[in-house]
Amino acid sequence: MALEYIFRRIILLCFMLLLLSIFTFSLSFLFPGDPLNNLSGVQNISFHESDALSEKYKLGHSILTQYFSFIERISHGDWGISFASQEPIFDHIVALFPATLELALYALLASIIFGIPAGITSAAYYKKWPDKIINTLTLLGYSTPVFWLALLMIMFFCLQLGLLPMSGRVSLLYEIPDVTGFILIDILLSDVSYKFNAFIDAIKHLLLPTIVLSTYPTMVLIRFTRDSMLEVLEKNYIKTARAKGLSRSQLIFRHALRNALLPVIKQIGLQFSTLITLAMITEVIFSWPGIGRWLIDSIYQRDFPAIQGGLLAVSTFIILATVTADLMHSLFDPISRNQTHGKI
Amino acid sequence: MAKFNINTDISSEELNKSPLRQLWRHFKENHVALVGLWFFIGLTILATLAPVIAPYGVNQQHTDALLLPPSWDDAGDVRFILGTDDLGRDVLSRLINGTTYTFGLAILTALITTLLGVVLGVFAGMSKGVRSSILNHLLDVTLSIPSLLLAIIIIAILGPGLLNTVWAIILALLPQYIHSVRNLVVQELSKDYIIAQWLDGANSWHILSRGIFPNIYEHIVVIFTMSLSTAILDISALGFLKLGAQPPTAEWGAILSENLAFIYLAPWTVALPGILLFFSVLATNLVGDGLRSALKKRKAI
Repeated sequence: MALEYIFRRIILLCFMLLLLSIFTFSLSFLFPGDPLNNLSGVQNISFHESDALSEKYKLGHSILTQYFSFIERISHGDWGISFASQEPIFDHIVALFPATLELALYALLASIIFGIPAGITSAAYYKKWPDKIINTLTLLGYSTPVFWLALLMIMFFCLQLGLLPMSGRVSLLYEIPDVTGFILIDILLSDVSYKFNAFIDAIKHLLLPTIVLSTYPTMVLIRFTRDSMLEVLEKNYIKTARAKGLSRSQLIFRHALRNALLPVIKQIGLQFSTLITLAMITEVIFSWPGIGRWLIDSIYQRDFPAIQGGLLAVSTFIILATVTADLMHSLFDPISRNQTHGKI
Repeated sequence: MAKFNINTDISSEELNKSPLRQLWRHFKENHVALVGLWFFIGLTILATLAPVIAPYGVNQQHTDALLLPPSWDDAGDVRFILGTDDLGRDVLSRLINGTTYTFGLAILTALITTLLGVVLGVFAGMSKGVRSSILNHLLDVTLSIPSLLLAIIIIAILGPGLLNTVWAIILALLPQYIHSVRNLVVQELSKDYIIAQWLDGANSWHILSRGIFPNIYEHIVVIFTMSLSTAILDISALGFLKLGAQPPTAEWGAILSENLAFIYLAPWTVALPGILLFFSVLATNLVGDGLRSALKKRKAI
């Protein structure tokens, strides 16, 4: 049963990746300019180079052959070269993606830590003052544009109080060798004498972007947890438990919580899409050297191969995260496996 | 004695009113949502009448008054209530005109998205078998691409500009919209009264227009407010990233990014567009939330 479900999800995953690759492939023809430039990333192609490149990218052949050669190149890590830097795009992505991932993961963690308890509190005190306060805050948080929030934070914490740095990942004073790409792990792995200071400095740099980035997902999680909890609290088994005389905390922690949190697992996976979107803006404002800022820069520079590569990497990651969360959800919640049988 | 049961209590009297009236009554009870609605209406008026209301032209420069603080400041001038920017343009006039771009265009975007989304969503909801499966998988893929990233890709194809932004945001919002409408339709289709209509020999169009639409259009309004708030945020975010409205267009996000260099010298030029953005999204969300809870309350009766 579970195996069959996993199998079906994996087929779905393959289908999604196939569609994504077709979309990415078609972009080199949709973008302005010559497809050969867009595919290879070489800008000034001389006459005799042109023939060799055309052969490599199978431009003379049918569209199907071109697509298969595209897939072959992608799977070998040959993602073309960037217009701007004339370096392989794949290397850029490998170097930049961990920074975005790190930021997104901490933000997700923060939103889980704050969002879920807040949602539970809100549902437990439904229509009482804690619920009202949390609801108001959620509404305010929902309505704040992320770039404005970031600017307010910078204005207050960096310019007014001078407490926190406003850009970058770590102060230039500290030289940290790049191992995993995750700055905190890199600092812990390195054997430099200023390890502790560098660590504190990196945390200071991380603080503001994480707060800004986690605001929106936190609000989503609060709402979702609250709604899910309220729905479960309406169920008959909760009413029975209440009739037996259980206290509110017993009801919530022993009986309602497990069932209420099941859909939340799925929701957490869906947050990655939002997180990456918001990370792009956050990275631009805080000069965070991640893939989002690189993508935006690529648009300013009309660096089409880079946009294409970035899209492929980011979307693949999001699809993988979504499917993983879906699988986790179904592993914990056997009922959900039956529902999806035969229909989506 | 049932036959002497004269309707004296409010709840049964309430049931005799039309559904829309009941909805309005529940909505009215929520004062915060009502304030949101007034604010929303005010912004809409501002967006349509902006050039008439604004005291100065959008790009009219006053070389004698550069970077003037708002009038309540000691150094302020009462001619420019909200101060001026680095080129001596009146901030108030620019913000009022910005309503047309950010808020007005967002409404337009959301309306077009609604039109397309409802048509495609109903189509997706009514279709069955392989076609529906393929449609849903396509939706899943587009849903997995972040909406702003999708908008950015579309802008990369079309080139930056305000109108291209609108197209990009429509296309980026559409999958979510289709998904929601489809779910509504599928939910409604499985209900008994629709099955009864099928059995009576009604055709698809009949079921759609008489059965499903009257029951889902209020929910569509709720989805509309949600996509409107996303549209406002996306238009301004793209303007802020210099991918949407180009200066000197008075779009709020563009004004914000234009004045970013003066954040120390003239914080009001950065703070004010942000506050307006915040309030317009807040008003939209308040209306949407109020509507949603009013719908829930009406259902509970």
